[in-house]
Amino acid sequence: MDKEALKSELKVHLVKYLNILDYKPEDIADDMPLFGEGLALDSIDSLELIVMLEREYGIKITNPADGRKILTNIEAMADYIMEHKKE
Amino acid sequence: MYLIDMLAISPQESWNGKAYLNNIRIVSGNKLMAIEPDYGDIIKPSQLRRMGKALRMGIGCGAELMKRNEELDGIIIGTSEGGLEGCISFLNQIVDYDEGTLTPTNFIQGTPNLVAGHLALISGNSGYNITHVNGGLSFENALTDALMLFAEGKAERLLVGNVEEISDYNFNIGYLAGLYKGEDSLSSGLIGSATPGTLAGEGSAMFVFGRSKQPDSLRLVDVACISYPTKEELSKLICRTLEGKGVSSSDIDAVIAGYSGDSRSDFWYDDITNELFPGASVYTYKNLVGEYPSSSAFALKLGFDLLRGDSVPAEIVKKETGRPLRNVLIYNHYRAKQHSLILISGDFSPEKDSSP
Repeated sequence: MDKEALKSELKVHLVKYLNILDYKPEDIADDMPLFGEGLALDSIDSLELIVMLEREYGIKITNPADGRKILTNIEAMADYIMEHKKE
Repeated sequence: MYLIDMLAISPQESWNGKAYLNNIRIVSGNKLMAIEPDYGDIIKPSQLRRMGKALRMGIGCGAELMKRNEELDGIIIGTSEGGLEGCISFLNQIVDYDEGTLTPTNFIQGTPNLVAGHLALISGNSGYNITHVNGGLSFENALTDALMLFAEGKAERLLVGNVEEISDYNFNIGYLAGLYKGEDSLSSGLIGSATPGTLAGEGSAMFVFGRSKQPDSLRLVDVACISYPTKEELSKLICRTLEGKGVSSSDIDAVIAGYSGDSRSDFWYDDITNELFPGASVYTYKNLVGEYPSSSAFALKLGFDLLRGDSVPAEIVKKETGRPLRNVLIYNHYRAKQHSLILISGDFSPEKDSSP
């Protein structure tokens, strides 16, 4: 899967896993912040995203510091998945 | 204790006060799903997206009432199943993902005390907060708790309510166990049905009760419960409960009975109303909202609405005597195991007893 397709898929998962009501997948920009501004997700959402990465892509985030960097936006998540799926 | 305010979400259009009494909704199938209001003004979208139906209904009613009635001393919820759908999803995840990493939302959603806890967080209410989880007597236990707090002088105003949702998974188990009707059914034909099983229901009804009497306020006089009684034991409990409040069975103007259309267990209602309350009107409510463990909360809302003088819709009349309503007894049982009585009154004359 190329990166663009992966980003589109991630947006669909994001909306589905977090039951986001006010955004459609196509409304989420690649660089839109997930936390704070942008989608304004919270700590429970971050746990949901960690579960999503494990279930959908087989990636486990065990270091909280990694999670802070990976879950910045869709672009960062896609980069991390592309990098670690090769391993 | 005295009614100050109330709200209900149910399979009827009960969100907007008493209008549902003039436009009873008839449902086909064996599930009576609650009609939810627009929660936009009550629950933030960021919170709403994570809520299951039980939580939405409970918070919808409770938060709105807490907005209208500040300075509450506590929150008391009765629910048998709580957020059942979330609980079952969480349990299924444990199996599906081999006890691996599980999503937190379903776990949070699956706890029965979430409604009371969430209401406290939203409103900043740090008072008494408890959830009674006792099957078909959960709501009655919540009412009893409130009555005791008022009697002991530990509260002036309390939020008391119920919440219950239909979970597909649990419904299927109940269906296989014969709890629900297998044939095509209309809710309008439920009462008097000659077949076993009933229709599933759901909803939330919340009440603000006060310890002090207000002008024209309706009164919840007493609550009594019994499990696995014989008919004699139930009859004794009813007589004892009424006598304790200075009321005789002939003072009861109407019985709101929990007829569920289940041919195996509706005889309890026939026996009690015919033998103890021959002069009273008999009204039903499960043909409006279906059967669920804390359905008596909706019966209480209906009873208060009728005591306020609204015309009785023909759909709920099993027997009509034409007596004006002053004392109403709600008698319900859940699966013929847990039986409960709730006595309410619109008698505005001086108290017959000194309890709140």
